[in-house]
Amino acid sequence: MISAGIEAMNAFGGTVSLNVMELAKYRKLDTGRFENLLMVEKSVALPYEDPVTFAVNAAKPIIDAMTEAEKNRIEMLITCTESGIDFGKSISTYVHHYLGLSRNCRLFEMKQACYAGTAGFQMAINFVLSQVSPGAKVLVVATDISRYLKVEEGDELSPDWSFVEPSGGAGAVAMLISEQPVVFQVDPGANGYYGYEVMDTCRPVPDSEAGNADLSLLSYLDCCEQTYLEYERRVSGVHYRDTFDYMAYHTPFGGMVKGAHRTMMRKMIKAKAPEIEQDFAERVLPGLHYCQRVGNIMGATLFLALTSTIDRGSFDVPKRVGCFSYGSGCCAEFFSGVVTPEGQERQRQLAIGQQLSTRYSLAMDEYEAVLQASDIVKFGTKNAKLDPLFIPQAVVRHSAPRLVLDEISNYHRIYKWSTVT
Amino acid sequence: MNKEQIFNIVIEHSRELLPELEGHTFQYSDRLTDLGANSVDRAEIVMMTMEALSLHIPRVELFGASNIGELVDLIYDKLQLV
Repeated sequence: MISAGIEAMNAFGGTVSLNVMELAKYRKLDTGRFENLLMVEKSVALPYEDPVTFAVNAAKPIIDAMTEAEKNRIEMLITCTESGIDFGKSISTYVHHYLGLSRNCRLFEMKQACYAGTAGFQMAINFVLSQVSPGAKVLVVATDISRYLKVEEGDELSPDWSFVEPSGGAGAVAMLISEQPVVFQVDPGANGYYGYEVMDTCRPVPDSEAGNADLSLLSYLDCCEQTYLEYERRVSGVHYRDTFDYMAYHTPFGGMVKGAHRTMMRKMIKAKAPEIEQDFAERVLPGLHYCQRVGNIMGATLFLALTSTIDRGSFDVPKRVGCFSYGSGCCAEFFSGVVTPEGQERQRQLAIGQQLSTRYSLAMDEYEAVLQASDIVKFGTKNAKLDPLFIPQAVVRHSAPRLVLDEISNYHRIYKWSTVT
Repeated sequence: MNKEQIFNIVIEHSRELLPELEGHTFQYSDRLTDLGANSVDRAEIVMMTMEALSLHIPRVELFGASNIGELVDLIYDKLQLV
């Protein structure tokens, strides 16, 4: 069988960030047990940043490194998001345009909350494995932002705001899927999937979220167990600790992953507390690092955890990574793949950590200004002109050209490359 | 297993996770949130209780209680079915 997986992968964590402990204090939340949620920073979308700019800025370095002939083999572009900007026209059309890809290419979008990225990824893998177009590549971009125009108080579905606001981030992960899986080679057919109807968290209105954090957490834990058990039924000789050198979990926030890992280690291999603590530090923590700096980027979060694992893990020999994806509503999947020393070297060249470090850290009054100004680009906006110098300190911090939203004209979004250095 | 026994198991796990509740006198009307338990803590207390009772059902079926008394009622009802 032909091999398939990730040939190249890049994450884009935006232009500005916010210290979430400061946010918690500012919102006068009970910070006593806030630390065990393991949240550090989150990326914030500026008014001139949207799911399209995040997607294009994540994919651009991958596309720039390809020859014209290689680019022309991208025959499918899948965007994966719950932050769509139009019910009909998909974000992929804009991404395709601003990346200058071939027109002999399928363009569409996938939705299933935070599972969307995995849905797109598996679709791409299956396309490559099917060999209906030998040599073809797929660009999968998971992109999500949180704008938070708050759902009204007292609403039946109003979220536990104290929990949602600090964890909701903004970012995208772009993956080139092909039969040259330099970065991550999937284990074909090693997939445990599990889904059912549950009303845990959702986006029933534009630009906000609703739902219940407790229900979502319980559903996540149920799915973590059920997807792994299904994987175990399909793959012989699997052991939760020994089969996987690293674990990349969908990470709404670090504390949830720590709780899930603890539960799985206890239930699957009857591990005791000290062993679980050490195992968490060795196999899970490398994947948490970027997630703790960007926040929850929904459909892209699992793959952000995967980039973090590859960048920060030790891959002196090929190693297997177990991946758990969960999307509210719900659908979940446990799958796996192998990362080689060459793959890590290739991945590190994209310097994702360095890009995150160049983000401008917002002061609380600037953050409030961003929330206010975001109203100009809310869902359904017909016309708007964006101020490219909004938060001027953010603009001067990057050297490579970045795509920004310039204006919305009769619903059509027009972007430009920002080259201010 | 009567409701008081289930209540005591919930209290035991709440104290294990939040040691500052050692001296607290628990009431059925107490809300775990008000006692300082965040989402992760609350899920953990539910799971520890399920394990202690060998209750093998989807965790989401124990969702919906607004205080400890309601959680005890939910668990009690589930135990009658197994």
